[in-house]
Amino acid sequence: MPIIKQHIAQVVDTDERERPRDLAGLVAELELDNPTARRWAARDLAEFQASSEVLIARLKREDDGSVRDAILTTLTRLGDTAAVAGLVECLRSEDAALRSEVIEAMKQLPEEVAPIMSGLLADADSDVRIFAVNILESLRHPQVEAWLAGVIEHDPHVNVCATAVDLLGEVGTPLSRPALELLKARFPDEPYICFAVDLALKRIGED
Amino acid sequence: MKRILIIDDAATVRLYHRNILEAAGYAVEEAVNGIEALEKVMQTPFDLYVVDINMPKLDGYGFLKEMRRQDIDQAPAIMVSTEAEADDRQRAYRAGANLYLIKPVKPAELLIHVHLLLGEVRA
Amino acid sequence: MAKITISEEDFQKFREYFYRKVGIQFENSKRYFVDKRLVERINATGAKDFRDYFTMLRFEASGAELQKLVNLMTVNETYFFREEYQFQCLVNSILGEITRNKKDKAPIRIWSIPSSSGEEPYSIVIYLLEHWPGLAQWDVEIISSDIDTNIIESARRGHYSARSVQYLPATLLKKYFKPNAGGYQISEDLRSAVEFTCVNLMDAADMRSYRKFDVIFCRNLLIYFDDLSRRQAAETFFDALNPGGFVCLGHSESMSRISSLFRVRKFPEAIVYQKPGVNL
Repeated sequence: MPIIKQHIAQVVDTDERERPRDLAGLVAELELDNPTARRWAARDLAEFQASSEVLIARLKREDDGSVRDAILTTLTRLGDTAAVAGLVECLRSEDAALRSEVIEAMKQLPEEVAPIMSGLLADADSDVRIFAVNILESLRHPQVEAWLAGVIEHDPHVNVCATAVDLLGEVGTPLSRPALELLKARFPDEPYICFAVDLALKRIGED
Repeated sequence: MKRILIIDDAATVRLYHRNILEAAGYAVEEAVNGIEALEKVMQTPFDLYVVDINMPKLDGYGFLKEMRRQDIDQAPAIMVSTEAEADDRQRAYRAGANLYLIKPVKPAELLIHVHLLLGEVRA
Repeated sequence: MAKITISEEDFQKFREYFYRKVGIQFENSKRYFVDKRLVERINATGAKDFRDYFTMLRFEASGAELQKLVNLMTVNETYFFREEYQFQCLVNSILGEITRNKKDKAPIRIWSIPSSSGEEPYSIVIYLLEHWPGLAQWDVEIISSDIDTNIIESARRGHYSARSVQYLPATLLKKYFKPNAGGYQISEDLRSAVEFTCVNLMDAADMRSYRKFDVIFCRNLLIYFDDLSRRQAAETFFDALNPGGFVCLGHSESMSRISSLFRVRKFPEAIVYQKPGVNL
């Protein structure tokens, strides 16, 4: 019978990661042509605290999705200031796929992202403010509702507000009702905002 | 009944577009990102797609490119975006969009384009 | 205890959240089914009402409560030829593509995880023997793994209840099984065709020897994992596969909630996920 039984340990004869796994060696491997080597280097760099900056630099020009994925996983493990600052820079990238991946990575870092959240929500670029609200979606932080209410009370950009209302409908409490009413008054001619506010009010309910 | 797939990670946006399109007599389904959208299209293609750009896992550009490249469906797609820059518009058309609208979309505006793209003349 | 009720808006809110996280969309007609289970969990967790429970569910770091709900809202049972369309896809589409792209004559490697009590890996063997002519030219290795050593022992023994074999065609039952002790004993040939191993999918060291697979069946497992573990499992599968290799998930599972590492591929029989390869 050609279905053969093979003991699992016999299949992989050598570890693919043959080169030295020190910081300098791994950083050099991040630049190799072979994406598998880059991916392993990115993963193994999780053992080195000082590697965030070099990972961010690679992330910005990496075009293989599986390598980007590994870099982002490592950056979320490291979660240091350099990692977070680098991720924020990537939110301004022209590359929509990279932006989405970075938003997902930042969602994994509630503790580290919380201190810079106010700054992101006040960013001059409305897209960055939208991404900041996207990140709030999974941020476990007592301030989340207040941040969202702040956005819909003050943010001049309709789409930043629209993103915040969507989330308020899910996480909001009756405390947010006045801010929601105010938002409707600020954009009376936007059918979408009226729809979204009414839905959020309904979902939130009365006390 | 013509079928439309709405692809957006925001539940409120999906519901808003769904209400407008269902009221006009279309059958609507939803997906939260490009991968789920591809899975749905692969099961049964739709007559039209309303596609957001920024979504987790696979964004709107990625979805359209993959759908067109694998030749899963060539039906018209409206890309809806928060971004009004010319580059974004160009990128959407290159990915395979037939139309680019800026959010939030007014109900009448959405419907008129849907009718046009589906080749339906309505009074 | 005050009687807990789920309002229409609560149901909608929960439904949207569950859909976003898990990918399962409940129709309005499922309202009673969903409400009943929600009330059960609200009472079990001591939450004071839906809002209280929903906040806990949403913000719980471990994701354990969400997994409890997934368990309650889905049915997980295993039997021979479960989700047979995927085995059809394997023999009619997937293996053809793999053999066309193979540059050597190395055996085709299939990994079935979790093995559970063996129904899935043995179904694959039966399917190959019965429906894949390629066996004349190609060797196949089938490895099946589980985290539970007791269940692996039971898989190795290969003794099954009537219920477990109820969807097997009678001819196949007769061909590969013998009635025994109120159930059915799978044949020695089949038992010796599968290598069963004990692994923890989350343990990187364990996973290091799992490489060079062409197809991975991982059905109805990841849906019970939290976000991070699911993502980690997807990465493990990516590393375990040859370029161009395939992952088959269960019918209520979707990579759309897990990872963007794989391409979605449509075959006539099923939708599966593929690791990008050299020419893809």
